[in-house]
Amino acid sequence: MATDALHSAHDHIHPAPEGFISKYVFSIDHKVIAIQYFMTGFLFFGIAGLLAELVRIQLLVPKGLIMSSSVYNGVYTLHGSAMVWMVIIPLVTGAFGNFVMPLQIGARDVAFPWLNMVSFWIFPVAGAILFYSALIGAPDAGWTEYPPISLQGPPGTTMWCVAIFLIGISSTMTGLNFMVTIIKMRAPGMTWTRMPLFTWATYATALMNMVATVALSAALAALFMERVFGVPFYDPAHGGSPVLWQHMFWFYSHPAVYIMILPAFGIVSEVLPTFSRKPIFGYKMIAFSSMAIALLGFAVWAHHMFTSGMAPWLQLPFMIITMVIAVPTGVKIFSWTATLWGGRIHFSAAMLFATAFIATFTFGGLTGFFLASVPADLHEHGTYFVVGHFHYVLFGGSVMGIMAGLYYWWPKATGRLMSEKLGKLHFWMTFIGMNGTFLPMHWLGLQGMPRRYATYETFAHAYPGAQLWNDVATYSSFIMALGLPLVIFNMIWSLKHGKRAGANPWGARTLEWMIASPPPYYNFKHIPQVLGLPYDFSEPLPYRNLDHKTDPYPAPSPATLSPGPLTVGAGV
Amino acid sequence: MTAALFERGLAFLGALLVGGTALVQLKNDWGSHGLDAAVTKVLLGLMAFGCVLALLAAINVLGGGS
Amino acid sequence: MAIAGLADHDAVAARYKSVDPVYEQTRDMRLLGFVFFLLSDVVLFSMFIFAYLYLRSSVPNWPPITASGHRLPRFDTAFAAWNSIVLFGSGVTMHFAMENWKHLNREKFNFWLVSTIGLGIAFLLGQAYEYHNAAISWAGSTMGASFFTLTGMHGFHVFLGVLYLVVLLVQANRGVYTPSKYFGLTAGTLYWHFVDVIWVALFYLFYLM
Repeated sequence: MATDALHSAHDHIHPAPEGFISKYVFSIDHKVIAIQYFMTGFLFFGIAGLLAELVRIQLLVPKGLIMSSSVYNGVYTLHGSAMVWMVIIPLVTGAFGNFVMPLQIGARDVAFPWLNMVSFWIFPVAGAILFYSALIGAPDAGWTEYPPISLQGPPGTTMWCVAIFLIGISSTMTGLNFMVTIIKMRAPGMTWTRMPLFTWATYATALMNMVATVALSAALAALFMERVFGVPFYDPAHGGSPVLWQHMFWFYSHPAVYIMILPAFGIVSEVLPTFSRKPIFGYKMIAFSSMAIALLGFAVWAHHMFTSGMAPWLQLPFMIITMVIAVPTGVKIFSWTATLWGGRIHFSAAMLFATAFIATFTFGGLTGFFLASVPADLHEHGTYFVVGHFHYVLFGGSVMGIMAGLYYWWPKATGRLMSEKLGKLHFWMTFIGMNGTFLPMHWLGLQGMPRRYATYETFAHAYPGAQLWNDVATYSSFIMALGLPLVIFNMIWSLKHGKRAGANPWGARTLEWMIASPPPYYNFKHIPQVLGLPYDFSEPLPYRNLDHKTDPYPAPSPATLSPGPLTVGAGV
Repeated sequence: MTAALFERGLAFLGALLVGGTALVQLKNDWGSHGLDAAVTKVLLGLMAFGCVLALLAAINVLGGGS
Repeated sequence: MAIAGLADHDAVAARYKSVDPVYEQTRDMRLLGFVFFLLSDVVLFSMFIFAYLYLRSSVPNWPPITASGHRLPRFDTAFAAWNSIVLFGSGVTMHFAMENWKHLNREKFNFWLVSTIGLGIAFLLGQAYEYHNAAISWAGSTMGASFFTLTGMHGFHVFLGVLYLVVLLVQANRGVYTPSKYFGLTAGTLYWHFVDVIWVALFYLFYLM
């Protein structure tokens, strides 16, 4: 190819977009699209979070406080469906992936910017359809919508199929876009093993997004056809099989949980070295373990089906591969811990979330290991033990990762620092709140409290602590929930009153910190040349041809280190 | 001559013609480089395989039915 | 018909390889993106094929026995064999069209592309004939469910492909493509071959297995 080391074929800069619509509505700029994903995702986070609070309030008393069973079923179904498909996945891929990855690889945009825009605009439409279904009879069989119940469910179930199908198209296109971007558009000199770890995580996630989501589309299309046209796939009365749905659904939905967590792993891998002033330990292991998780993630789906009545001989292989997947994950956890060891640690808000992530995610991962064991799962399946497990990995994992990323990259996106004091308060409310909410669910589940039940009177007769621990969970959830308006306030406040961030407030070393905050629409005036890994704090910056004169050993700016009353207490 | 026999005869001759041509094209393009060339080669090969299946179906070696 | 020899093809391709590095890199990315798109489409068909095999293996008899006790009929293999050849033939004609484009034979390119479109339409008409005369229905049994869903999805892909080929024919004759910049034609060819190969699988799975 006729390009040399210093000049990418993309050295040309397009003219700036003009007019409000092209700049902020139908923008093809990955940064604007990322912010659109972010705002929409946080809006849906608020709505889905309110639905969760309704669940918690219902469970304050064993006979159920505020809702009938049928309403309750709709509430948790929409909560789960929205959180998975309209909050976490769009935020980690559409918001963070879109904003950070092209900057980290030294590109001016993604491979197919127009496709990126289309991917985004499907998202609010799909979300609206999902929530609208509540008005015509909400889907009520859980986010997993197992037939035969989903075949008989209210009209909203059909809309649910449409909404998730649409968001699936958006996800698949985004996955394809990111794959081609990372393969083809890295800056000269950025070999695979010089890529930042968030980009590695985005790559593995995009692979899963591109390949697995289509499987869900197939399952949904079949459910839709069966509900609307009577085409028999899942109804046993007509020769179909409910277990078939479970296979098709989980073949996607298991990789989906890795889609939700891998970018959070990537965020943590970026935040920890920056605030420890130390290279990430085990760069290659972390990078390759992301790929291993992505690939192995396709081989474990039936661990959700141990009690489904599928052929018993399948249980052992799925159990073993599920346990094996703990190995690359464990590699990461050890690497992160080793990164912290001996570092000069500064507990910014981002760092608090990233460090706590290691604890809460690992806890969730450990309970996952218990679920992987078939004999244990036969007892735990369908109980609150599972609910506790996945909320630890999703909230204690993905959401904490998202918050770490938010505090870390907000200054880059907006040019303003968020209030660290409020950030730390947010952290403690979140950390204490989430542990109080989800920890009791483990023993409630082991004692036999079933999930998805609007009442638990029978259980309360058998286990005296039932109401107490449900109430502990509910009141803790209020603490956790109040964190959301707090962080939203912090974001809005910082836009006017936050200190100006400058290009590199944290003294980090990946390429996104080498350009202005916020970046110009073209990102890089000259595509930089990359000479090495970004994480080596003892070496000068491994870049040539940067747009601005940069200190070869970037240090955190004083504005980020100024102590406040909450800092000392929180950082120790 | 029934319709089915006619169809089988046409399928048999067509399979030989189309499959044969596909294989000749594959042989000619064997050394070409690039992603699109590679994908084309794989797909041409599979298509030729499809012609083999159709041929076997035409002479009733594979498949039941009329 | 101009069947290029091995050395010929590469020499011709080299002569007209674009000297525009921006175009080459863009083309590379679009090609990779398109191949990834085809890959995701393969997954889509694979999932429905899995569903078919699962449903088929979960009953002792195939074709299944209906609630009223009678056995559903098998498919018409002879007709399908012929219709398959029609579709495979269209793949070969498409290949000839591309060869002639690369050798700047505009008339032969048009001839072979029109033949491809014609054969594609013939295949669709054959499918319509088969659907019309089918003894089973889409919603009546799992056999109908899997057969009509899969062949219907495939037929829809063929239909979109035919439309795309018509667009390519028009664009090529309006001068949108040049001997060195013709990514749309490449994409169309890959898509058409892909649709062909999916049919190989469906033909085997429904008519021969």
